[in-house]
Amino acid sequence: METLRDALDFSDFSRAERVALVLFSLLLLLFPWLGTGSFVKTVVIQFLLFSLFGMGWNTIGGYGGQVELGKAQYVGIGAYTVALMMVWWKIPFWISMPIGVLIALGYSFIIGYPLFRLKGHYFAIATICTSLVLQDIFINWKLVGAAKGIELPIHEHPDFLYMQFKSDTYYFYFIMALFYAGLVYMNWFRKSKLGYQLRMIKDDEEAAQSLGIDARWCKIKAYSIASAFVAVGGGFLAVYNLYIDPYSVMDLDLSIKIALMAMLGGAASMWGPIIGAAFLVPLDRFLGSWLGGQRGLIGVDFMIYSALIMIVSAYQPRGIWGIVEQFRRRDR
Amino acid sequence: MIDLIKDFGGVIANNHISFEIDQGEIIGLIGPNGAGKTTLFNCVVGYHKPDSGKVIFKGKEITGLKPFMTNREGIGRTFQIMKVTAGMTVLENVMVGAFCRTEHRAVAVREAMEILNFLGLEELKGFHLNELPIASQKKVGLARALATKPELLMLDEVASGLNPKETEDMVALLKRIHQEKKITLFLIEHVMEVVMPISQRVIVLDSGEKIAEGLPKEIVKNERVIKAYLGEKYAKGF
Repeated sequence: METLRDALDFSDFSRAERVALVLFSLLLLLFPWLGTGSFVKTVVIQFLLFSLFGMGWNTIGGYGGQVELGKAQYVGIGAYTVALMMVWWKIPFWISMPIGVLIALGYSFIIGYPLFRLKGHYFAIATICTSLVLQDIFINWKLVGAAKGIELPIHEHPDFLYMQFKSDTYYFYFIMALFYAGLVYMNWFRKSKLGYQLRMIKDDEEAAQSLGIDARWCKIKAYSIASAFVAVGGGFLAVYNLYIDPYSVMDLDLSIKIALMAMLGGAASMWGPIIGAAFLVPLDRFLGSWLGGQRGLIGVDFMIYSALIMIVSAYQPRGIWGIVEQFRRRDR
Repeated sequence: MIDLIKDFGGVIANNHISFEIDQGEIIGLIGPNGAGKTTLFNCVVGYHKPDSGKVIFKGKEITGLKPFMTNREGIGRTFQIMKVTAGMTVLENVMVGAFCRTEHRAVAVREAMEILNFLGLEELKGFHLNELPIASQKKVGLARALATKPELLMLDEVASGLNPKETEDMVALLKRIHQEKKITLFLIEHVMEVVMPISQRVIVLDSGEKIAEGLPKEIVKNERVIKAYLGEKYAKGF
């Protein structure tokens, strides 16, 4: 009961934040009726998906302060579990997705145990490596389609068992539901014992240890939570794209985007990952298609993208939300 | 009963040091720089593993246990130099300590507030560590260690960086903690004004060896201690 109350209680946020959340939610709810084109719909779906990824990353990367750059492997695990179980055994999404999450949890515990012997940069590099290794395995593994990837058999629209739809509107509400589930979970997480302990570890690991916190175990737990989150998103990606390969769901690029968006928005804050995704997903898409596609300036979008990240991180390491909080503290 | 035996071999920092602390005592550990005080301290709380010898706490051997485990056994500690970060407020810092013994946030908040009230820090609860003067930072360190409900509290140079007035405050505070919370205190200290008035027993280290142990009165008259650490002036003044 206490857990549920904590999860649904947003009352400790400021009035402005709560109003913004309500307006944002209304906008989302009505979004499919705003008559936007399919390109915009895709961007918004991507935004919600990356917000979900970012929230997951935020547990270990934000609250725990560990530079985690290997989340793509869990996107892959989630996506491949859903895809393969459907192709091989015709197992519906609602069974295969939780199984994917369980596999991600198990795998993350196994990987996390040795991984968290490392700290700082070494940890960051190691997370990249584990993700690359898994990607390489999938690229060469014939049974799971190797580099060619797998196509999901297409079902008649609408199929709520396998979550396959012709219209983006369905996918939109689907990912929106997952997004809100993630949001509510994070609202609980930030007030949980683990949330507090992780923030202490981030601030001062030695002091955390002296307060009876098993730092390594806490990090492993947070890492697994993050992995589970991301695996849910991966499962969604499989039924949304209906085609996955190791390059689209396990790439280093994806890992870095997940971490960057959360960091740019503001790590260790409730809204940071959402703000980060709201900036970077559209920027990524619009700049990519406009500059790259229409103007023939291929690669310029990446320069703008990178410059923006550098400017924000130089000005305020705690990201866009950090800037907002800075102003709020000044006003107080 | 707290029964602490230490016996190192091979470590130059601490050479065959053994002593006991009884429950409810206040023990001071003094010695010149490099005497091995902090090493000894770290061996007890688990940051270092002693090469040989045993640490026994309440009849249970805790040698080589990790710091978070020794804390769960009932040993709290403070740090000489606290990392001052902007990540958490004072209340949140103390809550982390309280979370050591509970799963519920409401309980953690209540216990943290009790301790903040006890130490007179309730007005600072919304501040971040980096916004506080050093004396208050040290008290927060004390508060969060107390929140873990230790039976033995080990204080690493709790008065370093404090001015005489603040030092006096701190001594009074330590006395109150000892009396009202019934916690055994073990102080590593450079500042004689802290050790001498409150310690019931003082242990002196020099070059990794225990050179004296006894009542503060006796220690200041001890030849070896005067030579190694206190200097003639202090002994006369006492």
